[in-house]
Amino acid sequence: MKRLPLEGVRVLDLTMMWAGPYATKMLGEMGAEVIKIESPRAWDNIRTLIPREDQVDDPWNSAHYFAEYNHEKKSVTLDLATDAGRAVFLRLVAHSDVVIENYRADVMDNLGLTTDVLVAAKQDLIVVSMAGFGKVGADRHNVGYGPIIEMMSGLMSLSGYDPDTPQKTGVSYGDPVAGLAAVGAIALALMKRRRSGEGTVVDLSQLEVSSKMAGIAFAALAGTGEVPRATGNRHQRWAPQGCYPARGEDQWIVASCTTDDEWAACARLIGRGDLADLPLAERRARHDELDEAIAAWSRPVDARVAVDQLQAVGVPAGRVLDMRTIKDDPQLYARGFWVQVPNEKMHPYRKSGVVWRLLEANPTITRHAPYLGAHNHEVLTAVAGLSGDEIAELEAAGVIADTLGEVSFG
Amino acid sequence: VTTHDGDGVDPPLPLDGVRVVELGGGVPAGYCTHLLAGYGADVVQVGDPGLTADEERYLSRGKRRVEATGAELARLLDQASVVVDGRCPSGGDDVGAPPARDLFAQRPHLVVTAITPFGLDGPHAAHKATNIVSFANGGIMALTGEPDRPPLQNGGDQAFMLGGLQGFAATTVALVGAAVQGTGDLIDISLQECGASMLELYGSSWEYDSVFIERTGNMLRAEWGVYPVADGWAGVCCLGRQLPALLDLIGVEREPRFLDPVQRRDHNEELLVHVLQFMVEQTKDELLALGPAHKLPIGAVRTAADLVEHGPLIERGFFDDDGAGGRLPGRPFPGLGWAPLAPPATVPIDVVLARWSATVGGPA
Repeated sequence: MKRLPLEGVRVLDLTMMWAGPYATKMLGEMGAEVIKIESPRAWDNIRTLIPREDQVDDPWNSAHYFAEYNHEKKSVTLDLATDAGRAVFLRLVAHSDVVIENYRADVMDNLGLTTDVLVAAKQDLIVVSMAGFGKVGADRHNVGYGPIIEMMSGLMSLSGYDPDTPQKTGVSYGDPVAGLAAVGAIALALMKRRRSGEGTVVDLSQLEVSSKMAGIAFAALAGTGEVPRATGNRHQRWAPQGCYPARGEDQWIVASCTTDDEWAACARLIGRGDLADLPLAERRARHDELDEAIAAWSRPVDARVAVDQLQAVGVPAGRVLDMRTIKDDPQLYARGFWVQVPNEKMHPYRKSGVVWRLLEANPTITRHAPYLGAHNHEVLTAVAGLSGDEIAELEAAGVIADTLGEVSFG
Repeated sequence: VTTHDGDGVDPPLPLDGVRVVELGGGVPAGYCTHLLAGYGADVVQVGDPGLTADEERYLSRGKRRVEATGAELARLLDQASVVVDGRCPSGGDDVGAPPARDLFAQRPHLVVTAITPFGLDGPHAAHKATNIVSFANGGIMALTGEPDRPPLQNGGDQAFMLGGLQGFAATTVALVGAAVQGTGDLIDISLQECGASMLELYGSSWEYDSVFIERTGNMLRAEWGVYPVADGWAGVCCLGRQLPALLDLIGVEREPRFLDPVQRRDHNEELLVHVLQFMVEQTKDELLALGPAHKLPIGAVRTAADLVEHGPLIERGFFDDDGAGGRLPGRPFPGLGWAPLAPPATVPIDVVLARWSATVGGPA
């Protein structure tokens, strides 16, 4: 059996919310030892984002949102605002390969943990920061979460039912996108270090990663001088394409006719063979009418049946899977995408599995999201080299902890 | 030299010497190999990648293109370190190479990254898909758009671009493993699963708490939305800890009904009125100045045309010159170098084979 590609790589993970944690869960899935570091006074907000109605003593250990994106990690608490916390952190740095953080641009410097300080602790260290707008530059003081990044990057201007009303993506899209880029940056830096022995400092801007994802619009602007606009659910080149109702409340399918033949097959399927010979130009001109014709056919039909029938005649089509139906999608089920990860503080449920299916290395999820500070003793002993007495002193001083005081949600 | 093949760039790039064959074309594979090329890989496309002029302008720079079949294609694959395979199991875009699984079985030194709509197996593996189909099947589309209107795709072919980004990150990670362990791997990436892994808290809310969250349009909550402003659209996204500063900014008393997360649900409409009144009177520039001043997440909707003239991005060296005076997004992150990417050029297969035969490639 081939080993996971990042086995032997140790990552100190100072990230919070979604962008950074998405990156580090991918690193963990690929075999890296990810040590998630939170302060007992400033923990990952995702642990306590959603108000809880159940009565448990430690709600921060069983939040489903946190559990979704923090598996394959160890948890260490360290108050980096204290001298003792910083000293221990730098001892960890000395024995690690990567430090990644997605704080606001000024936070690490304010803590006294500048890049120079980190690299002094480990000469070939890989440091990746993920501030929303980068750590350097005139925009560095901007504050942003995923939707802000989506607005500012040009992506949102391309989305909308009409060209004049931008529409945000239903998730904080800028976050995981930035996380993926950070994973690429770390892998490239590991390649570079293997060749040269040198570390790397990456000042990743979440804004730039999202703008990069809108790059085809920039190319259109460069080529034509025209600013690309939103096209709703339609396509710029082929027709018809759209989102059509199916039987049931808020059930929908999508379909694209990318060629004359696909349209002809679609037209015959929906009982409108009289329209089968329409050329593309006329399909575009009569798009509203064709949308109505497809919707009239699809509205009383079960979404799965409609998609199967369209696919059977060669038309690209799919169901708009919502949060319920996606859990029972036959394709995801057959591929074992949803997995149960035992966690004694949570009732059994299915979470998303590994996206990068490496045939030989065969990554799986083996470790649930960590309880706060669950690995303090293990990591501080084995990696930082602290004694039991030293760890007890840190506990007594509140530098480390495995519980939180009064918690406010939201 | 129309592409970067490891010569003449100082300092060396992280993927110098890595040889990539792109099969099947398309945007997902094209974006993946664009990023690999930018960081130094020598990328060779086999056949026409089937891109539009805009896609080609953005994605094919820094690559060479060859026509190759039979023994020549086999030699090319023998000498590659990576194959990025954009061929769909639904067929129609075959270039004469073995399927991804066979390709890897025959050449285990390769990192083979297959990016397909549904993955290499399963009952829908042979389904045909476009960007909107992949976006719909990944779950994010059901969350996007207004609640009283159909679900909406987001712009810029994001299901495809996301697949390319996933492919890039996965390929670079696998290259690390290949360098250490001496053998490659087959990476099976499904565009559907790329989306399904990014359902934020919405997927697990239903699965764990049986709380079904529908799409909420441009406003999740009053303090988390996109709104019309004096000269366009802008937005604010505040967590609970940032609410006091937002209330101060818009001139609303810090009262428990707005600050307490449970009470806030019942007073969302009231707070929304205040937010809307404030936003509509400001310009985008005014709002953007208020964000850092109050440490509040405030943004404005900008277009590609706005961004190519945005000084801070230019000063950070974000853009590539497209060779005709235009600016295209360049390196996704600084710190590791980025190759100059010339327009794509078709070259005889012999040229590539001679070069690859004469030098040692691979990631190690």
